[in-house]
Amino acid sequence: MRAPARSWARVLGNRVVARDTRWIELECPDVAAAASPGQFVMMGTGLSDVAAPFLPRPFSIGARDGDGRLGFLVREFGAGTRRLTRVEPGDELLILGPLGRPFHLSPDRAVLCLAGGVGLAPFLFVSAEARHEGCEVRIVYGERSGDRVFDLGLVREIAGVDPELRTDDGSLGARGLVIDDLDLGDRPQLLACGPDPMLRACVRLATEHDLPLQVSVEEHMGCGVGTCQGCVVLSATGEWIKSCTEGPVFDATELTWQT
Amino acid sequence: MADLSQRLFGVDFQSPVLLASGTCGYGEEYADLIPLERIGGLVTKAVSLEPRPGNPPHRVAETPGGMINAIGLQNVGLDRFRSEKLPWLSENLHDARVLINVVGHSVDDFGAVVSGLDGEEGFLGFEINVSCPNVADGTMFGTDKRALSDLVTRLRSLTERPLVVKLTPNVPDIDAYARICEEAGADGLSAINTFPGMLIDVERRRPVLGNVSGGVSGPAILPMGVFLTWRAAAAVSIPVIGIGGIRSGDDALQYILAGASLVQIGTALFVDPAAPVQVQEDIEGYLRRHGVERLSDLVGALSLPENLPERG
Repeated sequence: MRAPARSWARVLGNRVVARDTRWIELECPDVAAAASPGQFVMMGTGLSDVAAPFLPRPFSIGARDGDGRLGFLVREFGAGTRRLTRVEPGDELLILGPLGRPFHLSPDRAVLCLAGGVGLAPFLFVSAEARHEGCEVRIVYGERSGDRVFDLGLVREIAGVDPELRTDDGSLGARGLVIDDLDLGDRPQLLACGPDPMLRACVRLATEHDLPLQVSVEEHMGCGVGTCQGCVVLSATGEWIKSCTEGPVFDATELTWQT
Repeated sequence: MADLSQRLFGVDFQSPVLLASGTCGYGEEYADLIPLERIGGLVTKAVSLEPRPGNPPHRVAETPGGMINAIGLQNVGLDRFRSEKLPWLSENLHDARVLINVVGHSVDDFGAVVSGLDGEEGFLGFEINVSCPNVADGTMFGTDKRALSDLVTRLRSLTERPLVVKLTPNVPDIDAYARICEEAGADGLSAINTFPGMLIDVERRRPVLGNVSGGVSGPAILPMGVFLTWRAAAAVSIPVIGIGGIRSGDDALQYILAGASLVQIGTALFVDPAAPVQVQEDIEGYLRRHGVERLSDLVGALSLPENLPERG
């Protein structure tokens, strides 16, 4: 894997794709050239002012193209992410990346991505790359309600597939969770990214059906490069391990899952 | 060209800018992003006698103008530090000076780490983290004058290497603690460690940090750090290393004018790993602009008002 780089990246585009959620495109050729699906960047506004986000925030890479362009799904959760959703074309963001361990796909097995909320982001990139390699990819994508569902045209454009949609309240797509009523007949390799309860449900599903599962985890992060040890998760052997450098993608069997 | 070097502890520091303990791992983690051999040096993550597992998450969170952390001093312990981490420092850092940050639950713990590393190569000296509980009586070494004096006296007897004590800001009279360290044989002081703090998630009505409380760092603590550095430096004749919220050359110069001979950059690294080199270049620009030949001429060169009122 290539070493991460630090660079100022120009904002090329910022469009609303769901409630409180933007698709932000950056010009970042070094990161784009080196990135693999599942990796992330630290995105921040630099040291010149201390308004939130003072610390950079981790974002999974959602897309890259051959012209050095990267795409990110940025959803507003607090003051820091609110400011990031407000960037305009021409603004610059400080980017550190690409960071972390990517997904590892077996070429001989179909890929089933299980996405909750902004957990969809890495699977846009996974799907684009895996389909290019000739892999069959399906995405099951869940949200709490229909107004939070991302622009499905954009998803299709980037991922190359139409996601199977689930919402908790049934206001768009099928009512239910991403793990409900899944067709596992082709015994796919499972990839999951989303809130903790969803990941735990995916672990139960994978265990029950004896399917391989990789998860992308999210924890508060400080540095993104393994120095601060802020972003730990509990390993299967009971040690706190760093999600930034040992993850964010783990084989589900590498972690302890509280059930 | 302006001279940024400082001669301290019997060696030359090519620049006053060091990386603070706990923010730069064991150096290797930042080797791709920071030209370590161009800066003054670094202070390693704390090393304890036994490995420490650390605290449950969340361990870090943003606060206004900074961050709060409760990592729990997770580290690989003395044996693995010596066999796995120190060799990298020894092989890769020659111009940058390395201090090893040491932490312990007891005077014996600290002593065992210092003795266990003293004969090794690849570092200059020790920075002693006294912002941790003494299991003997539950108080913190850094807030108990007797315990602090005993600790520094013991460590002094175990090593001839530079011994720097990292002071906690959590005392009303930092000058007294600074003098205790000097009298017990410390070669220098680092001022300051993080401020104790707490952050609450009001939606969940729970502390944000897994450890409930943690240490606050970043630009928000800069004025407190400058003040406490000024007080500590005025109280002793040994060098002081200023720490707390530095993100620019001006910030670093505030510490230097307050009496610091060197500075450490911590939280700012997470925001921008280019910060240490930028701070260095800013200081150099300041020296040129003001016609100052040597950085050492600025240490403590603060003009105070005449008839200074009694400090409260």
